[in-house]
Amino acid sequence: MSGRDYLGEFEHIIVLALLRLEDRAYGVTVRQEIELRTNREVSIGAVYATLDRLETKGYVKSHRGDPTPERGGRSKRFFQVTARGVAAVNRTQRALQSMTEGLDLIRSYS
Amino acid sequence: MTSQADFVQPPRIATWLVNLFASPEEAESILGDLLEEFCQLASRSEVAVARCWYWRQTAKTITHLAGSGFRAAPWLTSAVVVGGFLLYGFVSGLPDKVLAAITDRYLTDWSAHFKTYMFVASDGMLIAHIMLSMFIGCLVALTAKGKEMVATMTLSLILCAMAGIVFVASIAQLWPTEDGLWWMLAQLAGPFAILVGGAIVRSRRSISTTGMESLC
Repeated sequence: MSGRDYLGEFEHIIVLALLRLEDRAYGVTVRQEIELRTNREVSIGAVYATLDRLETKGYVKSHRGDPTPERGGRSKRFFQVTARGVAAVNRTQRALQSMTEGLDLIRSYS
Repeated sequence: MTSQADFVQPPRIATWLVNLFASPEEAESILGDLLEEFCQLASRSEVAVARCWYWRQTAKTITHLAGSGFRAAPWLTSAVVVGGFLLYGFVSGLPDKVLAAITDRYLTDWSAHFKTYMFVASDGMLIAHIMLSMFIGCLVALTAKGKEMVATMTLSLILCAMAGIVFVASIAQLWPTEDGLWWMLAQLAGPFAILVGGAIVRSRRSISTTGMESLC
């Protein structure tokens, strides 16, 4: 297993957001979900740059919805996590858990 | 009843900038998402807040688009930028030579055409330099298909950085500040014209994909 099999921090957050949103995951909902849960302002450009990278790696797939008037006649691009993506999240989660095991982060390092 | 947000439009220049840096497919998703959230925000709070948010998102998004555009084709973009830089280096002295030849040929008695002579020697040189830079910007953008703005912006930043270094060095040699500033502005006109050339080519290419209704 190479180091490339782990997700980067923002990739990890994005994939978790997609898993939470299920079939409602597109640019706006992903961005808002991350802002809501992390209290961090995220740009739509950063979200798409990361999603494109994840799609290239085969961790997510996307499809276009129908154009809607509230979007000026533009279509939504919906995203879904693939089986490879789920495996990558699990691997990253396990690695993080393994690294933090036995550490009392709140007491010792705050 | 229609609310104020129903008549609100996002900043056009910001939308145009996203269109310049994004591919047509990216622009479709990104501009749709930005408009949707802009309308939500405009209906919840003041329009000024929504516009401010739109501009902030645009600035950050353009940075990401430029970065990902370069990473997507680093060799092609680098080659185009280097080619543009060399071309700029070879032909940047051309307007001076052409205008000098014209003045030598047609304005031999310069005291009789003093105003024309002064125009050619000052503003004429600058205008010719700007036109040539814009032409180089167009050439670079035409070569860097799909990465027009990334290539022209990189070339402009390199030329700006070089002008900045020379300017700082000139201050160290105690140049008169007023002349130095004017020289700096004249030097920045070239890189800016290259960027304009890139924007013209990019706009022409994306003209078929734009024109969608962008009202809330």
